[in-house]
Amino acid sequence: MDWSQVPTLTWESAKLGILPALFGLIISVPLGIVCVRFRWLYGPVLSVTSVLYALPSLALFIVLIPYTGLTDTTVIIPLTLFSLCVLVPNVVDGLRSVPEPVRQAATAMGFGTMRRLARVELPISVPIVIAGLRVAVVSSISLATLGQLIGVSSLGYLLIDGYQRAFLTEILVGGGLIIALALVCDLILVLVRRLLTPWRPRRRRRELPEVVADPVAALAGGTQ
Amino acid sequence: MITFEGVTKRYPGGTLAVDDLNLEVPDGQTMVLVGPSGCGKTTTLRMINRLIDPSSGRILLDGQDIQQSDPPTLRRGIGYVIQQAGLFPHRTIEDNIGTVPLLIGWKKDKARDRARELMRLVGLDDSLARRYPHQLSGGQQQRVGVARALAADPPVLLMDEPFSAVDPIVRATLQDELLRLQAELHKTVVLVTHDVEEAIKVGDQVAIFRPGGRIAQVDSPERLLTAPADSYVESFLGFDRGIRRLSFLAASGLSLDDTAVISASLPAWEAAEQAQRNGEPWLLVTDADQKPRGWVTGDELRSLPREATAGDAQLSPYGHTFGVGTDSLRAALDATLLSPAGRAVGVDDQGRVVGVTSYERLGAAVEAAGPAADPDAAAGAEPAEPATEASPTGTA
Amino acid sequence: MKFFSYAWDWLTVPAQWHGSGGIPVRILEQLYYTGLALLIAALIAIPLGILIGHSGRGAVAVVNLANAWRAIPTLGLLTLLAVTLGFSPLAWLIPLVVLGIPPILVNTYEGVAGVEPELKDAARGMGMTSWQQVRKVEVPVASPLIILGLRTGAIFVVATATIAAYIGLGGLGRYIIDGLATDNYGEVAGGAFFVVLLALAVQALFVGVRRLAVPAGLRQQASQT
Repeated sequence: MDWSQVPTLTWESAKLGILPALFGLIISVPLGIVCVRFRWLYGPVLSVTSVLYALPSLALFIVLIPYTGLTDTTVIIPLTLFSLCVLVPNVVDGLRSVPEPVRQAATAMGFGTMRRLARVELPISVPIVIAGLRVAVVSSISLATLGQLIGVSSLGYLLIDGYQRAFLTEILVGGGLIIALALVCDLILVLVRRLLTPWRPRRRRRELPEVVADPVAALAGGTQ
Repeated sequence: MITFEGVTKRYPGGTLAVDDLNLEVPDGQTMVLVGPSGCGKTTTLRMINRLIDPSSGRILLDGQDIQQSDPPTLRRGIGYVIQQAGLFPHRTIEDNIGTVPLLIGWKKDKARDRARELMRLVGLDDSLARRYPHQLSGGQQQRVGVARALAADPPVLLMDEPFSAVDPIVRATLQDELLRLQAELHKTVVLVTHDVEEAIKVGDQVAIFRPGGRIAQVDSPERLLTAPADSYVESFLGFDRGIRRLSFLAASGLSLDDTAVISASLPAWEAAEQAQRNGEPWLLVTDADQKPRGWVTGDELRSLPREATAGDAQLSPYGHTFGVGTDSLRAALDATLLSPAGRAVGVDDQGRVVGVTSYERLGAAVEAAGPAADPDAAAGAEPAEPATEASPTGTA
Repeated sequence: MKFFSYAWDWLTVPAQWHGSGGIPVRILEQLYYTGLALLIAALIAIPLGILIGHSGRGAVAVVNLANAWRAIPTLGLLTLLAVTLGFSPLAWLIPLVVLGIPPILVNTYEGVAGVEPELKDAARGMGMTSWQQVRKVEVPVASPLIILGLRTGAIFVVATATIAAYIGLGGLGRYIIDGLATDNYGEVAGGAFFVVLLALAVQALFVGVRRLAVPAGLRQQASQT
């Protein structure tokens, strides 16, 4: 087994997993804020993102090929759109999770709308938004491997090469590394959440961890 | 001073929340807005800091129409306390309290120092400063809410049902704290509550609202109890208005009996004779500091050997006391009712015995206070708020 | 629109529509794989989800599963089984089923577990046995979420079936894989085009199923949140 390529491939997979989530975040925060402010907008936005989410990623990569070629971008754009499906509901839920008395108190104390968002509402939304980011990153890392089929390199290479050579070990290594990468990123995000929210009560062990938002569930009546 | 001039608030559906309101809130006093649900009291409060804007009429703050101020700026000069505190969960207690100072540009250290100062003022321990809201009890959170509202030293403090969400014991404590703070700070406080007892306890002026956003009566708690304007106000105030009115009459107006009080060092036989002479079945024994020790009967005294002093006798518990300088007639009556002997002990602020009451003396004081119509005419008895100091006056 | 022109050029060739490699056949194949896998996944996941939701045991495992399964790369599962099992149909069926189970399981569990305690209480108070409670109260109330789980599962199964063409499966993915191998973008585009249509059609189907299967009162309640 040729291990020399693994670091590069891992780095590629990491890029293709993290960048879509990051871009998704950058888009969904303003979008989420707008959807909270203008409630009627949220429904249509959700419908659009859900429809996108239902489309197989490979198909979307292919649709983009004539425009962006066989580059990383072809993979990043569809995955960014997918992550919107998770992140927008989470941003909206996060903002809505701010208790009404807190929002009222902030307004009454003289916070303008922008300041209140920046200093009060968004910080309080962080845990829920990070929950969405975790889903987005993990899914992206996994889905990005499909890009290998159109030649965009990632750890998926090990899967394909392993298949073509009927080399089981390579497939196992590839699969294992992809899952490991996803888990590491997930853990990093959990740590980031801990760092950013020292104010959160430590959950008792016996309580169930939150189930991460299901994108399509958002259309049916709120994320879980 | 806050002035409402012909203020009306009508909601898009047609609901009239506030109807042609004219009200003056005097400086440095607590004005309580009280009434049933939906009577417009909260709407009125929230128009002061422009969380709601009136449909017509205007509101003046120190002579200036508040419509002319930009809301955030206006609000930074007005403290606001709400029922669920609304503390920022993501900030420590001291940073919560320091919110408005930081907002108006203070340095972080200065804001934190100010926060500590306020924590002491509202009775919170320093150790809580770095904690987060979820680690505090409901009562503590409310205190933080009050401290936060006072941080930038605003002249006006608005309170919307601030004590409704805590249990009755904590509520009573917080109400007392408010009275204490006001005695020290003299802010212009506007407080909304649905609890008429609370209104009477903490208010200097009380505005009773009718459903439909109109005011039925604005007056001191005293005068409200004495002379309600109509049957609505009367029923709103509730029954036993007469007894509650007694809370506003000082115990200092009572004449107390000191002939029944003896020192523990007095020889027993002398005490027994004194009891017989005055026709007192029971005597109150005090120690060297004039503090009460217990009751003793004449028979008990006579049964003692010649050399014994009153203090050697078997004493019965002295029962409930009331502060002559600080408590009301109502408290004195209550103490007397609770005493098996039908006599309550009046003490000064050091706990020293001044004298004892009896039902006759209480009856006399209440009668002298006069009929409800004109409390000022009660000879010698000065209308006073509970829990404030009043100098003992002469006999009624 | 370059993509559409490529796809259009390809699919307007009459030959594409005939024969065992024709578009209709491929569509049916895809539907067959998807339907079969979804059915099996549902048969496993729904009862399991109801059981766990009703009894509460194993809930932690379900929740962790929900978060973990997204990390599994489809391609990895397919290639792994293809290499170990060879040309067996299990090589594609297992991954499709495995990837379809989690959304169905999680949503069913949440649906059943999320039934308000008052409702369960009322049912028990009326004298229903556990089984009756499940059948008459919990499942109907959970039905929106169960159907949602099936819908989400369908998304993943359709996608996985497309990719399974890589290890030799038929269906619309065949066009994509073959087209990529022969550098025939027209074929690739055509395949992708129909995959998208199919995915949308399946979603629409489930919206319809929801309308039929979920009692009206619940539907309205859900849309009010």
